[in-house]
Amino acid sequence: MDKILIANRGEIAVRVIRACRDMGIGAVAVYSDCDRAARHVRLADEAVHIGGNAPGDSYLRIDRIIDAARRTGADAVHPGYGFLAENEDFAAACRDAGLTFIGPTPEAIALMGSKTAARQAAMEAGVPVVPGTEEPLGPDVLDATIAGVADGIGYPIMIKAVAGGGGKGMRVVTSAADLPSAIRAARSEAQASFGDPAIYLERRIARPRHIEVQLLGDRHGTVVPFVERECSIQRRHQKVIEETPSPAMSRALRFRIASDAAAIARSVGYTNAGTIEFLLDEDGQFYFLEMNTRLQVEHPITEMVTGIDLVQWQIRIARGEPLTIDPDAALKPRGHAIECRIYAEDPDAGFMPSPGHISGLRVPSGPGIRDDSGTEAGADVPIFYDPMISKLVAWGDDRPQAIARMQRALREYDVVGIKTTVPFFRWMLDQPDFREARFHTAYLDELLRSRAGEPFTSADDERVEVAVIAAAIQQFLRPNPLNPLNPLNPLNPMNPMSAWRARARTEGLRD
Amino acid sequence: MTLHVDVKGRRFTVEVSRGAGAFLVSIDGRQHEVDVKEVDGVLSLLIGTKSYEVVVDGMMVHVDGVPVEVSIVAPRRRAATHAEEADGPQRITAPMPGKIVKLLVKPGDKVDARQGLVVVEAMKMENELRARAGGTVSEVRVTEGSSVEAGAILVVLE
Repeated sequence: MDKILIANRGEIAVRVIRACRDMGIGAVAVYSDCDRAARHVRLADEAVHIGGNAPGDSYLRIDRIIDAARRTGADAVHPGYGFLAENEDFAAACRDAGLTFIGPTPEAIALMGSKTAARQAAMEAGVPVVPGTEEPLGPDVLDATIAGVADGIGYPIMIKAVAGGGGKGMRVVTSAADLPSAIRAARSEAQASFGDPAIYLERRIARPRHIEVQLLGDRHGTVVPFVERECSIQRRHQKVIEETPSPAMSRALRFRIASDAAAIARSVGYTNAGTIEFLLDEDGQFYFLEMNTRLQVEHPITEMVTGIDLVQWQIRIARGEPLTIDPDAALKPRGHAIECRIYAEDPDAGFMPSPGHISGLRVPSGPGIRDDSGTEAGADVPIFYDPMISKLVAWGDDRPQAIARMQRALREYDVVGIKTTVPFFRWMLDQPDFREARFHTAYLDELLRSRAGEPFTSADDERVEVAVIAAAIQQFLRPNPLNPLNPLNPLNPMNPMSAWRARARTEGLRD
Repeated sequence: MTLHVDVKGRRFTVEVSRGAGAFLVSIDGRQHEVDVKEVDGVLSLLIGTKSYEVVVDGMMVHVDGVPVEVSIVAPRRRAATHAEEADGPQRITAPMPGKIVKLLVKPGDKVDARQGLVVVEAMKMENELRARAGGTVSEVRVTEGSSVEAGAILVVLE
């Protein structure tokens, strides 16, 4: 394998390019119109334009990506996450074109992509699943029949769309009286969103934690599970903070959940990197939720506590190498790691996307800090893609030190020109329940609701005063910029303040 | 030179003059000696011995990574500030290009402050735009499913 085409953009494309460099392998980027000058394009050895800004015109175009690999002589394709990463047709198209797909087989992607089939595989591997219906409940199944099934499972129950995702077609039902209307609503939403009104029922686990197990499988039958990650801090079902190890796990539970995850992967002959997600209830019982057949966004925290480069291993596995990772070491974390997903969103406007031009960027560094970013000062955050700009990771000997380092890094982080979730994280990491690790998957949504829109970016009196002083000095210099006694004369190209003043003039810091 | 600077509804009276090498700034009567240096667009302020990094981005002044929105009221034009925002119709505009997913109001509806008016999808996410203040919907200029440019007026409230 001499050259890898990365069928992605942003920070994950940068991450994979770096792994290629570390291994002496060439890296080919692909890009849409608006990504011509993006970081991943400039870092890569070669780059190929694959179309327009809409993902459907570029990063989702299987034909153009395969063609780009042919043109550049790439012999393998890394899909990253998102876009085509869990598309079995893409994996098959790579195989048909004689390219090595750095990921699982198309068959494994298809199997684990179906919620009911994946559930079936888990049950066959002897792994607990959330109690519920095995078969889809089509539109012809009577409400009375469903009510009988619901009684058997026990309330509260969740109604979910068989073809579902993203919370659509999902309803919580707490009593039999509410069931008929919830079925109607779930079916009509499922029909509208996915064109399929089939639903299924699951018992609702109260206040669960989200625990997941990263694993690697080689082509020789070896599967190695890693120490778990906890991703319970979610906003509207989207992870925002991940950490490893989970503060809620005992050693015994860690070994049990890891061996169950490995059993599922082995039973379906899984290869390459994958993650099995579980819910952990308040009694310490865990249930299989689903499998992600790709590299996860949050993989760096596992790398930080194990010292293992997961992307390099993806490439080595795809080359046919046997896994030589010590399975015991993979389950023995060294220290603690936390990741905050930095988004171009305005936390003070209900986390509304805040795309635009990054005019200034100060990135944190120092002991225990890793910033996996896809952007830089002077770059634009386009409106067409996921607004995540960076993943900030902190490592420490233990959880308190990791949190303290993350707090320090968040204080250093400054993004100018667009709004980001950095102020939200500064606040979040100070929450007593977070510091005590008392949380579940609905914790953040409940916490945000209780704040009722109170701003996150609230400067203290000292900072307000400094801002006032800076603004006043700038205004003071404005009336007579040509005064030769003014050392900050903007017409003087050597003047250190000229950039500041020129920007202020064009953007209008005036009454 | 005397200036008035507003932050979050608080007004500061600031006097600025040049000292020997540094600026002399008096803010609500408190005296500071302020040394300013610029490094690649970032200002280093030494106020006494205290060190701050400041980036000015239009009305936003970032102090050690924390944005503070300031507005300067020039000495002779104090009364004009924000006058045009005080009353008149409220125009709800698209903050970025996107697609109208759902209209939550129709002309004639009475709405409260912060009530949702329209849901716009952009960057693969749905965002609810809300009323800044209460009022009556006088115009709805878009339909569900239509695409809008940044700045397009979507809903007008009286």
